[in-house]
Amino acid sequence: MTSILELLRCEFRKTRRRYLIAAALIMTVLQLCWCLYGECTEEIVTHGWMLFLYQFPLVNAIFLPLLSMMIASGLCDIEHKGTMLKQLFTCTERNRLFDAKLLYGLLLITACVLLSWMVIVLYGFLHRFEGPFPLKLYLLYFLFTLCPTIMIYLIQHTLSILFQNQTIPCFTGIIGTFCGVFSMFLQNIPWLRKLLPWGHYGALQFVGMFGWTKETRYEYVYFETMHTDWLFFLALILSACLLYLIGRNLFSRKEV
Amino acid sequence: MKEIVTTSGLTKVYGNSICIDQLNMNVRENRIYGFLGPNGAGKSTTLKLLLGLVHPTGGEISIFGEQLSAKSRMNILRQTGSLIESPSYYGHLTAKENLKIYAALLQVPERNIEKVLQIVRLDKQHNKKLSKFSLGMKQRFGLASALLSFPKLLILDEPSNGLDPAGIQEMRELIKSLPREYGMTVIVSSHILSEIDQIADDIGIIASGKMMYQGELNRLHETDSDKTLEEIFLDFTREAQSL
Repeated sequence: MTSILELLRCEFRKTRRRYLIAAALIMTVLQLCWCLYGECTEEIVTHGWMLFLYQFPLVNAIFLPLLSMMIASGLCDIEHKGTMLKQLFTCTERNRLFDAKLLYGLLLITACVLLSWMVIVLYGFLHRFEGPFPLKLYLLYFLFTLCPTIMIYLIQHTLSILFQNQTIPCFTGIIGTFCGVFSMFLQNIPWLRKLLPWGHYGALQFVGMFGWTKETRYEYVYFETMHTDWLFFLALILSACLLYLIGRNLFSRKEV
Repeated sequence: MKEIVTTSGLTKVYGNSICIDQLNMNVRENRIYGFLGPNGAGKSTTLKLLLGLVHPTGGEISIFGEQLSAKSRMNILRQTGSLIESPSYYGHLTAKENLKIYAALLQVPERNIEKVLQIVRLDKQHNKKLSKFSLGMKQRFGLASALLSFPKLLILDEPSNGLDPAGIQEMRELIKSLPREYGMTVIVSSHILSEIDQIADDIGIIASGKMMYQGELNRLHETDSDKTLEEIFLDFTREAQSL
C-alpha cells in the first residue's frame, strides 16, 4: 500500500508547472496588501491589536473561500483533464487518494492562513501597537479562521473531485462567498451566519466594536471580546467530520 | 491451461438499459484474448468491470484465482496493467515525470521507466510535455504506463486508436511479443476484425452485452470454412440484435 507521505509527494509532483503554490501565495499577499496598505494612523496604533481581530474575519470571509476554491479546483482539475482517475483507481486506494489530495490542499491553505497571521502580528509589533500583545486572543483568532476555512475547503474539495466540470464548484464557491459576506452585515439574523459555512467567519467573530454613533462616529469607539459560542464551534467540527465522511464515501463509489 | 480471468453471470445495468447481460468470460494464461464487438456492444464496460472502475449489478469476477472484491481489488490490480479508451496523463508534465508518479504509486523501481519508454520507442521523447505529443505518441505512452510494472495481466481497450498504419503494425508486433517475452496474458478489445485476427489466440465476441462466441480463434475459422471471419462476426452481431 502506498504511504500517505508518498501520495503527498506525488501530489506535489503533479502540481509542477501549474504554479498553484505561487498563485496561493499571490492571493495571500494581495489580501494582506489590501488590509495593511495605507497610513498607520494614531487610531490604529491605539486600538491596533483588537481592531485587527474585529476587522480581519470580514476580510477572511472574502479571500479565504476564494483561495479554497482555487486550490481545490486546481488540484482536482489536473486529474479530470487527463482522465487520470481511471488510471489512479487502478494504482491506489480511492480513499487514500481522496485523503492525500485533501491533506495536500489543507496544508497549502493552512500555510497561507499562518503566513497571513504572522504578517499581521509582525505589523503590530513593527508599528508599536499600544498595550501588550494578546497572544491568547490571537491564537483563538487563528483557530477560528482555520476551522471555517477547513470546512469550506472540504466542500470545495468534494465538489471539485466529484464533478468533472469545474464550473459547479466554482459557481458554488462564488455564490457561497457572496452569501457569507452578506450574512455578516445582517446583524438581525445571526442564525444565517451559522447556517452558511461561508458565514462562519462572522459567527465565530469574538471581538465587537462598541461606542459608535452617527454623531460621534469613531471618537468614543472601543473594542471588547464577546461571548464565544463553543457549542456552535463543536457543531462546526462535527459537521466537518460528517462532510468528510460523506465526500470520501461518494468518491470511493464513483464510477469512471 | 490455467484460466487467469473468469466471469460468471456478469451483469451491468444503467437505469433501464442492460449494458452487460450475464456475461461469462474465460481468459487463459499466457494467451492473447481478442475481445471483439461492434461499437456500443459493452467491451469497454466489461473491461472497466474487470478493473473495478465500475461496479457490477450482478455476477462474479475472478482474477488470478481470487474473487474481485473491495478487499482483494488492490492486490489484484497491482499485477494488472491497463489502457482503457484513451490514455490517461498529466499534460503539463513530461513523459518521464508522468511515469515517475505512476512508479511511486505502483511502488516499482524507477529503472522500469527507461525500459518501458524504450519498448514503446518514446525514449528520445521522455523530456517532452505530454500535451505536445501527437495522438499516436499519447497512445504509445498509455501502453508504456500500462507496462510499467510488467504486470501478469494486461488489459488494452482499442490500443490502435489514433495510430497510423505503421504504428498499428508496430503495436500489433509489440502485443504479440508480450506473452512470449514477459509471460503476460493480454486482453485486447477492438471492433476491427483484421486486427484481432492477426494477434489473438483466443477470441470473445460480444454483441448487445451478450457473449456470442468464445473460444480459440482457429476454431471460429473452422465453424464455417466458406465464410470469412467478417461474415461470421456479422452473423453473430446480427443474431444479437434480433434477440
